[in-house]
Amino acid sequence: MMPETTDVETINRRRMNLALGIVVLIASIPILVTYFILMASSFTNQMITGSMVGQLTFTLRNWILFFEGKLTVASAAVYSMWDILRYILNTFIVAFGVMLVTTALATMAGYACSRMKFRGRKFLIQLLILLHAFPGVSLIIAVYALYIFSKGPIPSQWWTLYAFIYVIVARAALEIPMDIWIMKGFFDKVPWEVEWSALIDGASRIKVWKDIILPLVKPGIAAVAIFSFIAGWGALIYVLVFLPPTEKTLATYIAGLLAGGSLEVVHLPVVAAAGTLYLLPTLIFFSFVRRYMLQTSLSGIKG
Amino acid sequence: MKIRKTSLLFFLGPALFVVALFYIIPLFLSVYISFTPMVDWNVNRYLTQFVGLQNYERLFHIVMYDPDMRAVIMTTVVFVLVTLVINVFGGLLLALATYFMDEKMSAAYQGLWLLPRMTPIAVYSLLWYYFFHSSGIGVLNSILLKLHLINHPIALGLDPKYLPWGAWFIIIFVNGLVGVSYGMIIFYSAFKSIPRELIIAARVDGASTTRIIRHILLPLTKWHFTFVTVWQMFSLLMTYAQTFLLVEWRVVDSTWGQTWALYVFRTAFTTTKDQGLAAAASTFLSIIGIILGIIALKALGYEKMILEPKGDI
Repeated sequence: MMPETTDVETINRRRMNLALGIVVLIASIPILVTYFILMASSFTNQMITGSMVGQLTFTLRNWILFFEGKLTVASAAVYSMWDILRYILNTFIVAFGVMLVTTALATMAGYACSRMKFRGRKFLIQLLILLHAFPGVSLIIAVYALYIFSKGPIPSQWWTLYAFIYVIVARAALEIPMDIWIMKGFFDKVPWEVEWSALIDGASRIKVWKDIILPLVKPGIAAVAIFSFIAGWGALIYVLVFLPPTEKTLATYIAGLLAGGSLEVVHLPVVAAAGTLYLLPTLIFFSFVRRYMLQTSLSGIKG
Repeated sequence: MKIRKTSLLFFLGPALFVVALFYIIPLFLSVYISFTPMVDWNVNRYLTQFVGLQNYERLFHIVMYDPDMRAVIMTTVVFVLVTLVINVFGGLLLALATYFMDEKMSAAYQGLWLLPRMTPIAVYSLLWYYFFHSSGIGVLNSILLKLHLINHPIALGLDPKYLPWGAWFIIIFVNGLVGVSYGMIIFYSAFKSIPRELIIAARVDGASTTRIIRHILLPLTKWHFTFVTVWQMFSLLMTYAQTFLLVEWRVVDSTWGQTWALYVFRTAFTTTKDQGLAAAASTFLSIIGIILGIIALKALGYEKMILEPKGDI
């Protein structure tokens, strides 16, 4: 990684770093406290709360119980380890699916909205943001009706596969309008001269877009990828409604544990373990995307 | 000419197809449900019964005569306004701070602030359930007790002494922590896409950090600012999930912790299961949202930012 010192000859980099670090640290205290409690609780015999620091003991049992599919210490296994592993795999499939569909379609459409003249362009761009004034939840009945209608002609052994594809595309549709807006903003900033010179050289529009423009909007693609991955990873209602009951994801599994406000029934440290595990892939994905997409080299134009 | 059409279709077609099929068509159907007497999700029985504006008349009656509904409206207004300011400006401040700090620290802080957004809603609400718990086991209570700021545990979101402000504080705080990361990521990416030569040149010319922010970073990210503001306003008008669990688990008062969106959700799914009325309330909220959205877009200079494409070849 290149040390970022080139642009700071005139200021004291270290002092600014320290000052910003301390200010943000103070602002972060509520998050630090609550997430420390979550992660630490997954390694203790009971949920950590304000008054009981003396009575806690370290244990790995919550994690073992979670992977054995047990929800309380006394109960028999409700799920098997293979179930849990399959739920984790399902979560990855949905998250990556939503991320890929959303990022690809929004990047293409964002380019069209930024760079191409067509009738109704202004109206379309405005419509895309105003769509968000309608809550996604209220769409579910119609999306469900379309699902039942469309899966009729498909042979029943393919239904599970079809359900996965349907969940991914339907969930991505909720993300795409917002990401078109984000991407349009990034494409707008690429100088026209870059594109013209390539087009005059005889390259096709699609080739210019792919080879020359896309590398310049990498930070935008990163933002879109992060948000759509989080959306897919946490997709709850669409997964519950469309995937067969046996195919859970981590989000629906955890929501099931806490369903109906039944906080007394499950062993909460197991939920803390599930919640901690749930966070890890998204954090890894985030740091990966940041590393490769947001590291603009010294020249923003060359990418 | 033919080639232009083909490439437009290539770029725009797939996204428009998916959005039309899974968003715009279902949207019309959900507005239509507000003109039916649907209850208990009985689609077969009620979907074809058209009752005109009856649900809207009932909604109007409730708004006029139910004092609880007045609390819902006040809560919604305060919640959306305050949280919106926190989300947009908090996100902007976080983006600026992480833009100017060193890369490793920046990544760590952004990851930290993304945690609330990444956490499953049930687990996230569970964390704040323990934090604001009204007995001595609550984290906030035990901190305040140890500091001798209070003598006995307080029920911030429930005790009539603190209402409505206590309940409002909790729902704004809990939702605000999720919301700021949105602005943070979008503004930060936008800053990162500004050519670094611009900033280096300004530095060489002796510009201070404040001047760089005011004259380079902010003017070049106006589009993103407009977008984040309007988008977050819609999100806040429509959000209910975190608040729903806080109400269910008795962390906040069910009257003063309930926004319009949560009222819609509870009417459709938990209290009366009256989907016709819920759809009417939801459509009404969307209309208000669209009016506010258009005003906000105008006020933020959306027309000028839309930028006609300079030319196609």
